[in-house]
Amino acid sequence: MIVGKTRIQLEARLTSPRWLIVAVPVLSVLLASVVGGVFLLLTGHPPLRTYGDLLNNGYTSFYGLTDTLGLATPLICTGMAAAFAFRMNLYNIGQEGQLYLGMVGGAWAGIALAPHLTPFIAVPVVLVTGALFGAAWVLVPALLRARLGTSEIVSTLLLNYVALNLINYFIFGSRGFFRDPSTPFPQGRMIYESARFGAFGTTNTYPTLLISMFLAVFLFWFVRSSNYGYETSVFADSPSTARYAGMNSTWLTTSVLLVSGSLAGLGGAMYVVGPAGKVDPGLLQIGLGYAGIVVAALARYNFVAVILTAILFAGLRVGGSALQASSDPVPIAIAVVLQGAVLLFALGGELFRRNRVVITRVIESHQVMVGEVS
Amino acid sequence: MNASSEATQGSHRENGATPFALSARNVTKKFPGVVANKQVNFDVARGEVHTLLGENGAGKSTLASILSGLYRPDEGTVLRNGIEIRLTSPRSGLSHGIAMVHQHFRLVDRFTVAENVVLGSKGLTFVLQPKDIEAKVAEVCEKFGLPLDPRAVVGELSAGQRQRVEIIKALYHGAEVLLLDEPTALLAPPEVVKLFETVRAMTSAGKSVVFVSHKLGEVVDISDRITVMRDGKVTGSVKRGGANASRLAELMVGREITLAPRRGKSDSGEVLLSVSQVHLSHDQIKILSDVNIKVRGGEILGIAGVSGNGQRDLAEVISGLRQPNKGAVTVCGVPTSGLGARATRKAGLAYVPEDRLGTGLAPSLSMVDNLLLTRERGFLVDRKSALTEAEGFIEKLEIKTPGPLTSIRKLSGGNAQKVLLARELFSGDMSRVLVVCSPTRGLDVGAVEAVHTLLDEARKNGKAILLISEDLDEVMTLADRVIVLYRGKIVLEARGVSEDFEAVGRAMAGLSA
Amino acid sequence: MNSNVWILTFADAISIATTLILASLGAMITERSGVINLGVEGYLLMGAVTGFIVADSTGQLWLALVASIIVGAAMALVHATLTVTLRANQIVSGLAMVIFGTGLSQFIGKPVEGKTRPVIIDKMKFGTLSDLPLVGPIIFGHDPITYLTWLLALSISLYFHRTRPGLILRATGDAPATVDAQGVSVRRVRYLHTVVGGALMGLGGGWYMFARAAAWSQAATTNGIGWIALALVVFASWRPLRAIVGAVLFGFCLQVPFTLQGQQINILPPEIVSMFPYLMTLVVLVALSTPRARRLLGAPKMLGQPFVRDER
Repeated sequence: MIVGKTRIQLEARLTSPRWLIVAVPVLSVLLASVVGGVFLLLTGHPPLRTYGDLLNNGYTSFYGLTDTLGLATPLICTGMAAAFAFRMNLYNIGQEGQLYLGMVGGAWAGIALAPHLTPFIAVPVVLVTGALFGAAWVLVPALLRARLGTSEIVSTLLLNYVALNLINYFIFGSRGFFRDPSTPFPQGRMIYESARFGAFGTTNTYPTLLISMFLAVFLFWFVRSSNYGYETSVFADSPSTARYAGMNSTWLTTSVLLVSGSLAGLGGAMYVVGPAGKVDPGLLQIGLGYAGIVVAALARYNFVAVILTAILFAGLRVGGSALQASSDPVPIAIAVVLQGAVLLFALGGELFRRNRVVITRVIESHQVMVGEVS
Repeated sequence: MNASSEATQGSHRENGATPFALSARNVTKKFPGVVANKQVNFDVARGEVHTLLGENGAGKSTLASILSGLYRPDEGTVLRNGIEIRLTSPRSGLSHGIAMVHQHFRLVDRFTVAENVVLGSKGLTFVLQPKDIEAKVAEVCEKFGLPLDPRAVVGELSAGQRQRVEIIKALYHGAEVLLLDEPTALLAPPEVVKLFETVRAMTSAGKSVVFVSHKLGEVVDISDRITVMRDGKVTGSVKRGGANASRLAELMVGREITLAPRRGKSDSGEVLLSVSQVHLSHDQIKILSDVNIKVRGGEILGIAGVSGNGQRDLAEVISGLRQPNKGAVTVCGVPTSGLGARATRKAGLAYVPEDRLGTGLAPSLSMVDNLLLTRERGFLVDRKSALTEAEGFIEKLEIKTPGPLTSIRKLSGGNAQKVLLARELFSGDMSRVLVVCSPTRGLDVGAVEAVHTLLDEARKNGKAILLISEDLDEVMTLADRVIVLYRGKIVLEARGVSEDFEAVGRAMAGLSA
Repeated sequence: MNSNVWILTFADAISIATTLILASLGAMITERSGVINLGVEGYLLMGAVTGFIVADSTGQLWLALVASIIVGAAMALVHATLTVTLRANQIVSGLAMVIFGTGLSQFIGKPVEGKTRPVIIDKMKFGTLSDLPLVGPIIFGHDPITYLTWLLALSISLYFHRTRPGLILRATGDAPATVDAQGVSVRRVRYLHTVVGGALMGLGGGWYMFARAAAWSQAATTNGIGWIALALVVFASWRPLRAIVGAVLFGFCLQVPFTLQGQQINILPPEIVSMFPYLMTLVVLVALSTPRARRLLGAPKMLGQPFVRDER
């Protein structure tokens, strides 16, 4: 590109400096805040005070932070779900639906299985059942992708709407298994106490947070060190190389999507084990599945970084809820606006991480040639 | 550059006569890390065929790109009919009547010949008139004796026909100077003859042709002049008749080169690879029919043929990536057909595919990870031993890389190929059969030699090697026996050196010997 | 139940198809140039809410629709900048736009949430023609934008296959390097068609607001229509006229639950019936994935691939 007498070129970096890996996300958050600030100004909310409140309610106060960590718990799961699939160029964007199904599976186990189990294993059974339900919800898109090459993007997404209607049916449309029979008010039936975790003290943080974080660290190690992780890296880089090396692409595609779905499902089950205790349509309003994609992309599909970005976004959400309830109500949607904007800036920033901008002055060729021609 | 000027070196200053159709004066072009062109002078007259000869990486394609407007020179000028022009894009080149036909055709497969030819033409009306366009294109075809149906879909044409589309496209857009970049690379010998006829038809119509090539043998006949480049500089220029193949070769590589073929000693080794009665078809189209091959330890069997005649499919069948409809493959005595790539490899087969960066290697991964690719791996990958191995290879094969953890993409083609060959030849369980496809395509001359030496050594160590290459010279210099594949059938089996080069060439084009 | 209900359902399907057609035409134009825009859902929402706000404050329908178009084009400009100039992952950029659009539409739509729409798009009157049985409601019972959309699909079809820029557009999606070699700027072709595509998606959102939705509500405005539109592009094999047929088919599926509800037919709970359009879209996608169908479809070859000129 040439502007006036200056030529702007991009040159591929041989190595990306480490500071840029941090600088790009940080700058993205700052720029997104500016964009959010513009919309806040336009709608008559003072941006600085709003951000101050958001920060305080989301991160810097004790209950703000513990609420944030509580919300981050399932968000780490959906973030891992997105990262696990996206790093293999499999765009599972059905975390939302898989999360709901995880909640349904968890609640089913908590109601139907828990009474027959010792308290010690009731919680793990609920979590595993939720993960299995999440995986089951992605099974059809996974097989279609692996066998027929059907785009998983649209198929997983369409199932989100099916899952949403399914939850509505369980709670509002029917008087079935998942609905609380003791009241005409439409709400979910509580799972057995033995299948639930208590919160830490008076906070909204549950021990499931530790499970999410442990899983993230484990996956970080796993994809780097295991043969499975190695094969997925080869497949992501070049499917034809994977085929050449005799890797089973059908198995890799299917299993990666199933693991991704189970991670999202696990998030839903954690919501049941922790704060909800039942199938709760409230989960449908939060958008943790979609947020997981943003979390993963901002973390550049690095599982440990997912923990940090999930906490960041959970804080936006928690801070945003507090704003909505304050005397000068700011719509909670500001949190989603910020999420989207952060991702957009981070995407643009990727280019600068991979390339160096070279600005040179355009030299008029005849000037160089003066001596020669005369 | 002055040492070897034999005829017209430095003749860019015209002596008041008709100016040259196109000239480059003192052109210098730098890319990060290399000077691709250093003070280069070059010119072509009206009605002349001027060949730009040089090895890969000599800078001849860069010069052609500068002359056609794709690249801008850092220093120097381009003159058209003696007047300085400033080219900013291929389009601006075209507006000065300069067009380049690239080695890799730039055509839209789904479009017809006519649509491809007129694409981007400023003379078109907003609403297209297909009949008019087809008529105009047919007219150009006829004028230069290039038989082509303007309504044919380009995706269904042969390489030679596609090249014709490219040439027609250039002529349609009013090109007076045509730069042909490695135009014979994809053609069978008889198609080359046809191309030369076309070139002659163009020059007699007053057009100028710049022929960019690294194949010394074929350019002598067609050229009025030959300019040789090496390391970004012009090393000499020879007029028609003044050329002498070994002198040109010396100008190209800068030293005497021996074109002596390398051969194995005997064929007494046991048969390590055998392919019997293999048939393969896809969507009811026959790809391979009744292919029978035996390769013994200590020999190289060359498979010649124009690409797209089933060579790649044969390699995939042998390596277990594809299952033949009929027939059997045996590797070191183990029947492997139907077992898949891993089992075939275990039986003792190594495979260097044609597409080294997209298939043989995972380009974004490191050398270490790429060495792990064809190994038996446990639940956890063992990068430590691969790292030691990588360091050994870097030293032994003189692989130029920042380090074993740098991604393969950042290596040059020759170094990437060394990594691939090292893995397939020495890494893990020693295999006894090697299938290599186009192992030197796109490599510079030094790397070609290194690869050939590696293959020759492997032969001496008793490996059975199947060499599949479109480069007939390569097959002829390395192979002990040669097979020609045409439309999936073995049409000629030749017994090494003494065999007539021409017969192989005719067989490649499907003409019975 | 009488057959009239089904004729009306069909007429309704044609009407609801307008958003689908506009959105899929937008996606189709974008994809023909080689750029995937998955953000359709976000564009529809933003188009709808912007139109609503402008109509709410000015009372001018046409001004509102122009605003919808502009906001769609602006979002597409961001997408083009990210994917064409900055070479970002097109899929993730599209998703980011869905999230951004969803959030922003809720945010700026909050003050007007629940308000009934200030203006509506009236159906056109064709005198006695509109009263004809069958053809009356199906052909002569729509609003001007619907007819405009049909005309648009026809013009875009002619543009693709009969014009010089259309030829270049198709070549850009298939072989950008070829187009570049002809001196045509791939970047310009991609920017232009991505932005025009976004504008159509914005219009689709605006139209939906004033023709179908009763009030602006964040949850119930588009309900995944954007994603169905993307599936429709594949269904129509990137051909505008086929998009009309497909959209009516999909529209019918979207409409059936309402008809059943209106007729008090409760064979299945409404939540289950509401799943049908999404499940049907999924089935269609699968049917189009067979190798045979794939060959016939002819997706742009370099779809989703950023173009970088080989300037060493």
